[in-house]
Amino acid sequence: MSGTMVNQELKQDPAKARLSSSIAMIMALISFSMLFATLMLGYFAFRFTSEVWPPLGMERISLGIPTASTVVILLSSLLYLCFESKVSQKSLKSGRFYFTATFVLGCTFMIIQTLLWSKLKELGIFTGTSVFASMLYAFTWIHAAHVAGGIIALLFLIPTVSGTREHEASLSWVQNVGQYWHFLGIVWVIMYFSLFVF
Amino acid sequence: MAFYEQHIHPKPTTFLSKYIFSYDHKVIGKQFLWYGILFLLVGGLMALMIRWTLAYPGQAFPIIGHFLFPETGGAVPPDTYAMLFTMHGTIMIFYAITPILIGAFGNFCIPLMLGARDMAFPLLNMLSFHLAALSGLILMASLFTPLGAAAGGWTSYPTLSTLIGSPGVGQTLWSLAIFVLGVSSTMGAVNYITTIITLRAPGMGYFDMPLTIWGLGLTAVLNAIFLPVLGAGVLLLIFDRVFGTTFFLAGAAATTGTGDPVLFQHVFWIFGHPEVYILILPAWGIVSDQLSFFARKPAFGAKATALSMTSITVLSTLVYGHHMFTTQMSPLLTQTFMTLTMTISIPSAIFFANWLGTIWKGSIRFHSPMLFSLGVVFVFGLGGLTGLYLGTVTTDLYLHDTYFVVGHFHYTMAASVLLGGFAATYFWMPKMFGTIMNEFWAKVHFWITMMGLNGVFFGMMLVGYGGMHRRIYNPFIYEFTQKLIPINTFTTWAAIVMGLAQIIFVINFVHAVFFKKEQASDNPWEVGTLEWTIPSPAPHYNFKDIPVVKCGPHEFGNPNLSGGKDYQYQTEELA
Repeated sequence: MSGTMVNQELKQDPAKARLSSSIAMIMALISFSMLFATLMLGYFAFRFTSEVWPPLGMERISLGIPTASTVVILLSSLLYLCFESKVSQKSLKSGRFYFTATFVLGCTFMIIQTLLWSKLKELGIFTGTSVFASMLYAFTWIHAAHVAGGIIALLFLIPTVSGTREHEASLSWVQNVGQYWHFLGIVWVIMYFSLFVF
Repeated sequence: MAFYEQHIHPKPTTFLSKYIFSYDHKVIGKQFLWYGILFLLVGGLMALMIRWTLAYPGQAFPIIGHFLFPETGGAVPPDTYAMLFTMHGTIMIFYAITPILIGAFGNFCIPLMLGARDMAFPLLNMLSFHLAALSGLILMASLFTPLGAAAGGWTSYPTLSTLIGSPGVGQTLWSLAIFVLGVSSTMGAVNYITTIITLRAPGMGYFDMPLTIWGLGLTAVLNAIFLPVLGAGVLLLIFDRVFGTTFFLAGAAATTGTGDPVLFQHVFWIFGHPEVYILILPAWGIVSDQLSFFARKPAFGAKATALSMTSITVLSTLVYGHHMFTTQMSPLLTQTFMTLTMTISIPSAIFFANWLGTIWKGSIRFHSPMLFSLGVVFVFGLGGLTGLYLGTVTTDLYLHDTYFVVGHFHYTMAASVLLGGFAATYFWMPKMFGTIMNEFWAKVHFWITMMGLNGVFFGMMLVGYGGMHRRIYNPFIYEFTQKLIPINTFTTWAAIVMGLAQIIFVINFVHAVFFKKEQASDNPWEVGTLEWTIPSPAPHYNFKDIPVVKCGPHEFGNPNLSGGKDYQYQTEELA
């Protein structure tokens, strides 16, 4: 029997371990993308086979609240980028500001979404009103559930901003949570234009 | 090539850390194995009830019928029959085959065959199993709800699965269970892919990986991409049932403002067709390796086999429409889907020919894993060829929704995967549990199973060709099907024989795991892949030192080998 050999070159390499988690996050984002792509497939199937849209003489939703959501989530992504930059520069003090701002804007987005659902009810649009109404609710629920997951993921960065996590591990956490956070922003923008604008 | 060296986990000391909340991929693999075997028995019992009803409609199911169905004198009632075929399909596909082939052997084999100490994310791995367990509990709980379990078929097409077709909570629980299981499998897939990319032993290129790993890796890719599609579908179905949305309620959007049931079929089959390959790819990989191992020859065209499996993986994403030829699809689309479906024959033929090339003139050792692998070659050939008739529009229009379809997919998804699962279980038993199963009874198990399953599934195709439709409680109320009663009776007895043969396996397995004193050697099958370079059973850390790979996994008959060996370890370098 040959036995195994010790490979001297194979050492603990944090940067490569970071790459490993990054690959996993990319795969996870592909999975999330397929979930939202399937929802959009359903939307476009209805949208392009329907002579009248929104159906049954349903009024278009005013753009005010969805636009506010869009601005908030894009701004949060932008601030997160600044946070990432500060963490990589080991400038945790200013990083804390950007992190807190991102977190607050994430929560604000959720509050605006609840306002959107209240507004829909005020307008007499309920889940069963039409398939368009079903989509408005279902898609925004599913997206909001993912944002809630993102806010929880942000909480896992507290050891990073408090300086109790190693720098290399912090970079990995910040990068991965960031990819997920930006992804949610992109998905919302697609939803904004397809569900509310066009 | 490995990106980094993993730590060695401390050895678990308590029962909870060792068996319930274990991070060890081998323990999680065994958890999935027990889980899959348990559901295999439940799903198998349901199959026997279905078969009994088709052979002897209205007659009491033997032994337990009076206990289960006292209100009908022990006979399976019609509504229960619908639940049985729904739950049988669901359990076998998602809760038996998936956990055994992908959960158990994916977990067990990937790190060991790659030369890694564990999966890339052990915690994620543990959570994946616990979510699968939760999903199984939800599904089984649905059997005990007031209106019973889901009854809309394993495909759960609306409107059968909306509140109109299935008013009880059972269908909602079914949808929830599938969603949770989808999350679990996606977590597993992300872990498998990352492990394969980042934790291959130094020196191991992708083509140095055993074909088992190719099969499992490609399955993981399909899982990661297409399970969320099903997830979205069942999520919207849950919304329809619980929150009153109207995605799948009948009616055109422009005229009534409601949804479209056929949309679910699209979503289901965008996932569903790759699902066939999700199930079969691990079995293909395992068989491709074992044919070489037991023929004592290098795998013929191993690279071509790997690339053929990859091509099939890609093509499998483009053919789902052949499941929907009868939904008034545009003829242009049906022809497109038919052509794409037929192209799958090309890579399939390549690797099938490679299998035959591998065993051609080999010094075949007919050990139990090899018998089961050869069984896969036979049944998959038969299942694959009958698929051509269903992929062709003209013949599918006649055969659609008949028992021919049931026979075909049982040959490909059930027979091939079941035999592949048994091949894997017999083969890796020494490395998993440190013992080897009794070879004589393993071979008895093989021959009875092989005869039984061919009796069952060929019988299904015959009655299907005769026009018998699936999912009908008593198809013999039609005069033309009454002539098919004898074949159905034969099929049922073949199923009973096949079912009884599994008792042999269970006794053999339980005896080897719990009672057998004699330990297996480190490499009882005499093969060179990395898992056979370590002791049996595999220690909790797998490899004390990370191995360095020098050659491929199927090196046999090298004249420079010494010591009377005919196989070369992957860590061995010959002059």
